[in-house]
Amino acid sequence: MKKSYFISVVFVCLGSQTFLLGQVKTGSLAGAVKDVETHEPLAGANVFLRGTFLGNVSDIHGKFLIRNVPAGVYTVNVTLVGYRSQSREGVAIAEDADERIEVFLQQAPILKEQVVVTASRYEQNIQDVPVSIATVSAEEVAERISITLDDALRYVPGVNMMQDQVNIRGSTGYSRGVGSRVLVLFDGLPYMTGDTGEITWETLPMNQIERIEVVKGAGSALYGSNALGGVINVITREIPSDDEIAWRLYSGLYDTPRHGQWVWSDKPRFNSGGHVSVSRSSGPMSFLGSISRSVDESYRENDVYHRWSAFAKLKYFLSPTQNIFLMGNLMQRSHGNFFWWKNLSEATRPATSQLNGNVDSKRGNVSFAYKEFVSQGFFYTVKAIYFGNFWRDDSAGRVNNVSASHVLFGEVQGTIQLSPWNILTLGGGANYDQVSSNIFGDHPGTGRALYVQDELKVMEEWKLSFGMRYDWQRVSALPAASQLSPKIGVVFAPDNATTVRASFGQGFRYPSISELNTELSTGISAIRIVPNQNLQAERSTSYEVGVMHVLTDAMMIEAAIYQNDYRRLIEPSVKVTKRVDGSDSVFIQFDNVTQARIRGIEVGLRCEILDRMFSAHMSYAFNDPQDLSDPGRTDVLKFRPRHLAYGSFQFRYDHMGAGIDFRYISRVERIDELLVRFAPIVNGNQRVPIRVADARFSYDFLGVGLPLRIGFNVKNVLNYHYVELIGNLAPVRTYLMAVEGIF
Amino acid sequence: MTVRTSFFIVVSVVLVSCDGGLEPIPPPEPGFAGTIRFISKTWPPPDSLINLWVFASQVYPLDSTSVLTGLFSQPQTIFLYPTDRDHVAINVDSASYEFPVPPATYRYIGVVQRFRSDFSVRSFRVVGFYIDPQNPGQPLAITVLEADRITGIDMTVDFQNPPVQPF
Repeated sequence: MKKSYFISVVFVCLGSQTFLLGQVKTGSLAGAVKDVETHEPLAGANVFLRGTFLGNVSDIHGKFLIRNVPAGVYTVNVTLVGYRSQSREGVAIAEDADERIEVFLQQAPILKEQVVVTASRYEQNIQDVPVSIATVSAEEVAERISITLDDALRYVPGVNMMQDQVNIRGSTGYSRGVGSRVLVLFDGLPYMTGDTGEITWETLPMNQIERIEVVKGAGSALYGSNALGGVINVITREIPSDDEIAWRLYSGLYDTPRHGQWVWSDKPRFNSGGHVSVSRSSGPMSFLGSISRSVDESYRENDVYHRWSAFAKLKYFLSPTQNIFLMGNLMQRSHGNFFWWKNLSEATRPATSQLNGNVDSKRGNVSFAYKEFVSQGFFYTVKAIYFGNFWRDDSAGRVNNVSASHVLFGEVQGTIQLSPWNILTLGGGANYDQVSSNIFGDHPGTGRALYVQDELKVMEEWKLSFGMRYDWQRVSALPAASQLSPKIGVVFAPDNATTVRASFGQGFRYPSISELNTELSTGISAIRIVPNQNLQAERSTSYEVGVMHVLTDAMMIEAAIYQNDYRRLIEPSVKVTKRVDGSDSVFIQFDNVTQARIRGIEVGLRCEILDRMFSAHMSYAFNDPQDLSDPGRTDVLKFRPRHLAYGSFQFRYDHMGAGIDFRYISRVERIDELLVRFAPIVNGNQRVPIRVADARFSYDFLGVGLPLRIGFNVKNVLNYHYVELIGNLAPVRTYLMAVEGIF
Repeated sequence: MTVRTSFFIVVSVVLVSCDGGLEPIPPPEPGFAGTIRFISKTWPPPDSLINLWVFASQVYPLDSTSVLTGLFSQPQTIFLYPTDRDHVAINVDSASYEFPVPPATYRYIGVVQRFRSDFSVRSFRVVGFYIDPQNPGQPLAITVLEADRITGIDMTVDFQNPPVQPF
């Protein structure tokens, strides 16, 4: 099928007139999506009317229904990952009539038809993107029984997790979540806390994820601060047009560790939870509400957590060319404060000072989005989000630290098709933060940004993109700072099977309020933390050349070579000074200390054989993380592994699926020995390569007419013991079972 | 790629995973360890080298009274390695040591020479100590915790040029 340069809901003639749905005669479009060869129904296909927001997703029976379609003649687009997109022109919808169509899709080489939105702020095919981008589908999340979003990222090529801290191509060192160098977006809106600038994975509603997009390399030219090492965009799924109740229950049991010394409880330890969501559509409005509960008793002492969360989404069609989204999310969590182990002989017990520690947090967000097609060539969105965070920690009932942060962010973005070969995206945003804390102080923060990006199709084979963003930020009474971040990208597609890309981009991250202002004399660590209000923004520059080549319809290879230069990286430094009486004063302070260069290669292979009965995805990433802080010598950058090798093998037959995932991450060569000594983390330098295998099995009962699926997973099937984060034993073998259904 | 090849890859990666990863290690006896480097050709004659100890003091600054109190009163705050009757290796270029001490902060760690036979502070002199690299001439304190063996407490001894005496 001929590739479309600007796919999806883009710029087709609807004219600029808008009208309320209630004032026009409407009909509906119903139908089914099936595989052209097997005639099996296809679930999850996006069916939409071009140039409008009207659309739906096919259900597990392959059926879809689009209501309230103004009478007229439309082009119907149908897309599904792994299948060639299809357009059906001239579909007439009559007043008060139900038009029915049947769409047969043909399988396509995997990923070739995949749509992503994060790389350029509008939907495009993945092979049109000039940077490395990986996706995690809702199906992968469900099959792996990923309970929080960080868990779902563990098999993304070039990405490794240090417990709950994400590291894209070595961007992130040890910071216990403070000041993430990866920007997380929630439906395109920044989702970082106002005080520590960290990612709160557990607040993202796993049951509502459509897909996760991971853009690797500096991305500040479009997204501003924090996009130093990459961007993760969590995209929520559309509200089903049919009234629906979806539910899921899971329960996991932690096995005992290999070593008897690590067994700290004689009771079985469970990790269980579930959610239920209800969706309803009526006229131009659709609504989804969801509530979930998780209780993790943990394999470690004082590491238990209890979590309640609720999610709601409302979509309202003002007209076929205008819609409004409202979304809200609220989470309440209480968990033990296991910061690091007592020692390696008691690796499942926390250090004595953390034994009675507990953290309570309440986090929530409300977001708004208004979207409109103004004309054939102009589409704009207005978005805003409020993200509030409150947490406090206590020891044996005594409150130690408290923080409340509020982030308000808004932006306007327009996308203009200047010609069939030229798409201009421009926008601006502003944010206001407020932090009140006994350890960070009371500080307001404010920022503004403007960005522009132009994408040109120079010839049939060449696409160029240029972008620039200006950010201005002020925190409290500190001097204002501004950043200019450019990007350039080139995509060359010599034939239908090959895409070569090259990109240059810059990133930056303003220091978080916590890095600037933390003043902590006692706490988890034996040493105090002191503020440093002279911190400057850290910066990165990324260069990348990549290639994607389809060997056969069943096999595809990807490769990329990259270099990321980092300047003024902010790291927690252990410092020793003399007091007046001659004694030592040891403290931690965040400082701009590290210059670094990370070069690497990434290769990946995807294949599907035997009519997709068997599929495999293997990737290998090599990083050369160099610490260039000392002009006289080059050290290995702390806390970065050199080798990451992941493999996923999936077998599907009829309604059954089975798979195994494996990940190997080489031993981190260098850590902060001073941190280990002074924190202190007893045996904190003990670490090994990570070699973990997860196995999974699932079966759906659609064959017998039941909308039910069961899944059984064994995570860390070899019960291999390792640390992702120093002084923290990673989860032992865990048996997980999930049951889910839709009514 | 065939199913057989993929299966082979899966089995291979699983097999290389068969060591169990991290294992418990016995908690170390609290203390610290390091190496003493002796500057060559400066060893004193045997009659003025009655003992050579590593000593660790929780107290600093020191005087004659606090040294004796720290050594002989309870709770003891100054410790000698290996023992008050033994000494570290002599007439060598370097000597490694592992000094078990109770958990505490040690504000002065040094190498002390007993150069006369009587056991008094006047018979002792410090010939090297653990230096603060950011402030040479000053001692660097360390904190020893339960089940914590700090390594890398290295010192240099120059019998011809002893440091400023702490007592």
